Amino acid sequence: MKAKAEVAALQNALQAEEAASYGYGVVGAHLSGAAFSQATSDCVIHERARDSLSAMITALGATPEPAAVAYRLPLTVSTPAQAATLAVDLELSVVAGYVPLAGAAEPSLRQLAATRMQAAAVRAARWGAPPRSFPGLSPAP
Amino acid sequence: MTRRALFGVAAAAVGTLWLAGCKGITALGPVPKISGDVVTLEHLIAHEEALVDLYATASRQSSGSADVIATIRAEHEAHLKQLRARLVLPPRLAGTKIAPSRGIPALPAGAAALSGALAVAERAAAARLTAQLATVPPGLARLLASISASEAAHVVYLRRSVSSR
Repeated sequence: MKAKAEVAALQNALQAEEAASYGYGVVGAHLSGAAFSQATSDCVIHERARDSLSAMITALGATPEPAAVAYRLPLTVSTPAQAATLAVDLELSVVAGYVPLAGAAEPSLRQLAATRMQAAAVRAARWGAPPRSFPGLSPAP
Repeated sequence: MTRRALFGVAAAAVGTLWLAGCKGITALGPVPKISGDVVTLEHLIAHEEALVDLYATASRQSSGSADVIATIRAEHEAHLKQLRARLVLPPRLAGTKIAPSRGIPALPAGAAALSGALAVAERAAAARLTAQLATVPPGLARLLASISASEAAHVVYLRRSVSSR
């Protein structure tokens, strides 16, 4: 039962990382120079996180849920500013995606979730997100 | 029940109460220890109070990045409110500081140095929250993880407030 809850929390985080990996392809396509490099770097971070989550799910005897062929993006992107807005949205979705894992029974999973939530919140801020008191919690307490 | 039996029960009860009276409060069993969750929450509240005080000091000596400092201070106050809401205290203690202030360290002068000192405090706060996750209940762990993400992001806003000047 404990493992089942942990797998569900890991799958939740995996879906957020898969969506971010896809979304950053769109973000990068509308950027150039330093912003493009930043998007590429952030995309790689999400791909690695996705792969590590998949491995953890497999190690628990479950099957990682496959990524979708395409994702419905929250906004149409045709300018660099819209690309940055999409990056903010992707990162905040990743923060929210790890929240269930932060309450997992296994302490190491909680630490992993918190660390990745912090990193995603930092990236969201770099892409222009305004400060948030309780990122990932909806509704805010 | 006969009258004699009733007297017997009553006498036994009086005897038990008398013995309990002699034992004082120990007759009620061992005094319960404060749970680890309460201690953890008290420490986190004390640290969050210190952060609010730190930003109050920073806002008095900052001229250039007052908006950012005020915004972040408001976020720490929101964190503090949520942490306090999870610690139920007797009415006479509610609203008081958990631990006496240990004094706010002197903040350096100059926007860059001030921002740097606040960033150090934010990173330490995020690390402290992460370290406390292992032992708290799941709901509190999720809240602490969210607060740690908020505090980690503060570093970006502090840096930006300096570089944009």
